[in-house]
Amino acid sequence: MQESQLRLLMFLQDLLSLKKEIQDFQVVEKYEEMGFAFDRKERIEEAIKEVTEQLDPELYRRFLQIAKKYDRPLAPVINGVCYGCFVSTPTGSKLVTQNKDVIEFCNHCGRILYRAG
Amino acid sequence: MELKELFNESNVELNLDADGKDEVLLSLIGLLKLDDKAKEMLFKMLKKRENLGSTGIGKGFAIPHCRSLVVDKLNVAFARHPNGVDFNSIDGKPANFFFLIVAPPVEISNYYLPVLGKVAQFCKTPEIVSKLRSLKTVDDFLELLDKASS
Repeated sequence: MQESQLRLLMFLQDLLSLKKEIQDFQVVEKYEEMGFAFDRKERIEEAIKEVTEQLDPELYRRFLQIAKKYDRPLAPVINGVCYGCFVSTPTGSKLVTQNKDVIEFCNHCGRILYRAG
Repeated sequence: MELKELFNESNVELNLDADGKDEVLLSLIGLLKLDDKAKEMLFKMLKKRENLGSTGIGKGFAIPHCRSLVVDKLNVAFARHPNGVDFNSIDGKPANFFFLIVAPPVEISNYYLPVLGKVAQFCKTPEIVSKLRSLKTVDDFLELLDKASS
């Protein structure tokens, strides 16, 4: 089954967070002290490319636009509240009422919303 | 946060029946009681993490871990495989003991790295391999976690 655009965006944000983490020398040092190896770090770029190629170009453009403003362009909705800006989402949100993987933006901060948990 | 507080009957499997790295990851994810979509995404994320460098730290241990939006709090699981599975570990030997650690990208409590560190430390406890091999029940495992961290 084709993956939803929302799931792809979530996956992309996870990969971008991982990329940021492994670019941080201090964090990598902590991991290495624990015994983990990051001997193929460059593969993160391939993984990111793989996901972005499956995204709708317009949606990806919007994601990048939001990413200029916020470190994390996606924000969870918990109890009807966007946890990016802590403002209530519209009551008719399909994401909230029907648990559907639809693309919805926070009316207040513009982040892309997903259901948490 | 003590390791013992994170584990219970539902996220510990002492007789893991899995053939290969992917099956191990899927079984560990299965212990987290997530919905199917979340399980699928988490599996993909863990695979991508493994691609950057194996989380098989040697001496029979592997600690697959990642941060993911599909969870809203720190989640852990433990599994023991009787014969061991090839996990591309740094010492080239099969892994028998698996700790899964997953956390959301942002946690208020920020337990992820400290818990990962505690688990890695636990794996270095003297004679831990023989102790883990001889466990009979989940309670034995919890007791071992308790003793090792005290």
